[in-house]
Amino acid sequence: MSIDRYRRQTLVKELGQKGQELLATKHAIVIGGGGLGSHSANLLVRMGIGGIDIVDNDTVDITNLHRTSLFTQEDLGKSKAFVLQEKLRAINTEVRIRGINQKVTKENIESLVKNADVIVDGTDSMSLRFIINEVSIKYNIPWVYAGVYETVGMVMGILPKKTPCLQCISQNIPESTSGETPVLGSLPAIIASIQCTETIKLLLGKPLAGLLIYDVWKQCFDTMDIKRNPHCPICGIKKHSLARGRII
Amino acid sequence: MKITVRLFGRYKDITNKDTIQLNIGEGNTLGDVIDCFVKQYPATEKDKSRMMMSKNKLYASFDTTIIEGDEITLSPPVVSGG
Ligand SMILES: [Zn+2]
Repeated sequence: MSIDRYRRQTLVKELGQKGQELLATKHAIVIGGGGLGSHSANLLVRMGIGGIDIVDNDTVDITNLHRTSLFTQEDLGKSKAFVLQEKLRAINTEVRIRGINQKVTKENIESLVKNADVIVDGTDSMSLRFIINEVSIKYNIPWVYAGVYETVGMVMGILPKKTPCLQCISQNIPESTSGETPVLGSLPAIIASIQCTETIKLLLGKPLAGLLIYDVWKQCFDTMDIKRNPHCPICGIKKHSLARGRII
Repeated sequence: MKITVRLFGRYKDITNKDTIQLNIGEGNTLGDVIDCFVKQYPATEKDKSRMMMSKNKLYASFDTTIIEGDEITLSPPVVSGG
């Protein structure tokens, strides 16, 4: 590992040389390479994660450019996963980087995440987030939820069976609304930055901040200290059967 | 009975407060708290079916009964875009 590359970062006492070395042994999977995923992957690679997979089956569209990182007009029509792979490899050759041009489903998620130390949420689908949540609890892989809407973003690091899972806080959430989500261009960068920091804290075994809510327009930041729901159908005492899509 | 609700996110802006006090009847639920809140602050109406509420640091469904002294929080819905 190049010492110079991370010199300024290892001076930060929260991380230090030890934390930097530990980070280099970790593997993350970023599900979704859009507004959140492109920024989070960019930061994780620059900050020295050991390996990263970025999964997205979409192509770069002109409507993505206002809120994403790394993509340019020349990338329009190309696979987001492959463009990110190429650009991130040019940023840091010490990181194992793989773009996977695939749609993440209930059927393939287990094989995609099985070698990951952490799952980073860059999806825009609530139903996919619940699939991530379930597989995270089943295989004890931490994940970091993040979402953006208009000027408000939320982030929550989830350590299976230790901190609340997405289902614990989602009793009143209906299915995703259809149509385009309004997002201010400056929002995903800051939410991804918070998400990336919570991801690194998770990987280093540091305590998480709970549920974070940030409004980039009002510059208003909240953290909510919440507990696990002992009756949660996903992380409670019951067993799981992801393949059958139900709790047993 | 009078209950205190701690607010998060844009609800603090809409109300201009960190916490609000609402008057609700005995045996009422978190859903009733939302009805009361939306009536007082109609700008929150669009979130009504998706608001997130916690009682004593646990997220809870709208049919959860509350009693005096419960610590209630109300926050905007989990956001879904990426
Ligand atoms: Zn749970």
